[in-house]
Amino acid sequence: MKFRVIKSIILKDLKELRREKMALFWIFIFPLMWITLFGTMWGGESPPITVDIGVVYTNESGPFTAYDIVEIMRNVTLEETNLFNVLEFKDENSALEALKSGKIDAVVVFPKGFGVNLTSGRQARVYLYFDKSDPQDYQIVSGVVKGFFGEMEKEMKRRRIEMQLEYMESYLPKGLIVEYNLTTEMIREYMLASAEPIVIEEKEVEGKTATPIQFYVTSFIGIQFLFATMLTIGTGTLEEIEKGTLRRIVASPATAWDFLMGKMLSTFLVIMISIVVGLVYAKFVFGETIVPSVFGWIIIFIASLFSMSLGLAIAMGTRSIRSTTAVVNFISMPLLFLAGIVVPESALPKWARPIANYFPLGRALKDFRLLEIYNRPASEIAPDILWIGLATLTSLIIAVVLYNWAVKRLEI
Amino acid sequence: MSAIKIKNLTKSYENFLALKGINLEIEEGEIFALLGPNGAGKTTLIRILAEGLKFDSGDIEVLGEKLSKKTARLIGYVPQESISYDLLTVEENLGFYADLYDAPREKVKELIKRFDLPAKKKAKELSGGFKRRLNLAISLLYEPKILILDEPSTGLDVPSRRQLWDLIKGFKAEGKTILLATHYMEEAEALADRIAIMNEGRVVAVGTADELKDLIGEESIIQVEGILKGVEGIREVFPRFIEKSGILRIHVRNSKEALPKIVELLISAGSEVKAIKVEEPTLEDVFLKLTGRALDEV
Repeated sequence: MKFRVIKSIILKDLKELRREKMALFWIFIFPLMWITLFGTMWGGESPPITVDIGVVYTNESGPFTAYDIVEIMRNVTLEETNLFNVLEFKDENSALEALKSGKIDAVVVFPKGFGVNLTSGRQARVYLYFDKSDPQDYQIVSGVVKGFFGEMEKEMKRRRIEMQLEYMESYLPKGLIVEYNLTTEMIREYMLASAEPIVIEEKEVEGKTATPIQFYVTSFIGIQFLFATMLTIGTGTLEEIEKGTLRRIVASPATAWDFLMGKMLSTFLVIMISIVVGLVYAKFVFGETIVPSVFGWIIIFIASLFSMSLGLAIAMGTRSIRSTTAVVNFISMPLLFLAGIVVPESALPKWARPIANYFPLGRALKDFRLLEIYNRPASEIAPDILWIGLATLTSLIIAVVLYNWAVKRLEI
Repeated sequence: MSAIKIKNLTKSYENFLALKGINLEIEEGEIFALLGPNGAGKTTLIRILAEGLKFDSGDIEVLGEKLSKKTARLIGYVPQESISYDLLTVEENLGFYADLYDAPREKVKELIKRFDLPAKKKAKELSGGFKRRLNLAISLLYEPKILILDEPSTGLDVPSRRQLWDLIKGFKAEGKTILLATHYMEEAEALADRIAIMNEGRVVAVGTADELKDLIGEESIIQVEGILKGVEGIREVFPRFIEKSGILRIHVRNSKEALPKIVELLISAGSEVKAIKVEEPTLEDVFLKLTGRALDEV
């Protein structure tokens, strides 16, 4: 290997890239657009949702009626956002029509006598209607509405018990209280426990999770491996073959291996620069980014080596720039999703998860996320790195063999 | 010592035999031209010498050494197509190739000056003539003793071609051996000390331009100019002729007897003859005599 030749090939490639606007766009600008687009779309805090709810009730007079519940619904907030946008309907049919046409998310029907039943100690029935055509929407909307009524129900129970206790206190025989050593408080607790045997107390802990920006910054790194790295080395090598310059290099005192080493190092350098630019850009624009650890950089290095090997193997196999571009796009486009590059693995269908787990770039990115976002120890990821390293070595050997054939073809 | 010695060289591409036993000896310090139409095997021969293209059989010596990667530095090769990188400047291109051949960096500036090249201009912005000069400069970076040029003036205008020829003559004056492949007989005649005529993978004749013209022998060349009709009728009587841009060059054994016949045939076919004369043979005539076809016939 001749260092002077390798250095010269690297510098030549970098100078060429600097002057090629389209390549600069795809390697540097497009990924930044990606981060900007997705960061802006999903990067901010999501406000609590507001459910458009249709209500149907009959005006009644009484201490607590459907109207009062509707008023509570109008005013209940979560993080300063109204939980419900209440729309009143005259009858059940018109409310259900609105639900079917998607104008509202749910319907609550308070039948006649609801208020009377509620205040007279009888069961007060409420009818809830949901649109189940979108299971995800259904889960969210029904959760919010049932949650609200669940809380209302608890509150009602508490108030009823308080009322009953107040009523009972004056009727309880004093002797009974003394004989069993009872207090009013004990009776209240017993009654509350009868009505609500399990009390759920919700407490929050701040777990480590990926913010959308962190996720999309790592996605951007994956995109660089799936497209920019493969295409830079693949088409770059083919251009030198088609132009006849590789033949010239091979005929000179330099060797085809000097060329390959120079080409791989220049590609690696370009991709590393683009990754650093992307990470700095995310910090600058969104105020957060990922600063890879040494082990993180090792994962990036191995992944880029795998990607370069794959790109080179495709190029040497297809032997044409157009076919290489087509094959890289054909492989990379579905992998963008199926290998968990831009979609979290948890959101992938079951059949696609092995792809994310065993395709080396998907696996490398997953490990990178575990390491840099979820702060998992390097020792936990080390066995994976061994697998990715082996896959990289295999693809590198295949690429080198194909490259060697291509060089041999130049001599015949 | 011979600069290049080739013995029984054969080369095939799958089922096509491109070189069919080439024997050539090129002397040190001479300009040697390979003259032949496209597909004659000139570029294949040159690529074997300059680019290490594998061959089937035969022996090649370069300045007494067997052709190998070691002899690469002895040969400077100027291919037909540009080998410069479009997005790099002239200086950067020369610098890159200087690194490739481990040539001193000072050579870059020297060659830029010598060939009057615009150092800071990108290769893609250069005219055809300057691109060819850059190719030449690249091949001279490591001071090769032998210079091989493949169709050096193809695509160049007349002034650029003349400038290039002067440069090539200058290399000879410096003592370099020059092997050039061309299908322009004027180029071969203007530059070469000796010429090898190649056709269909064979060397059909070697010699100086005069020696080759002598191969025409007793034949005379009658040149007719004008709006020519009935040319096919002439072929029946005089089978060897070249027709090119309104000019007919007919090979005849006895010009005195042939001249009236030719005029009669052409006039009767409705031709308008503007001029008719007996000409000296050219290398193209030699090629026609030796191969039965014109140089520009593919």
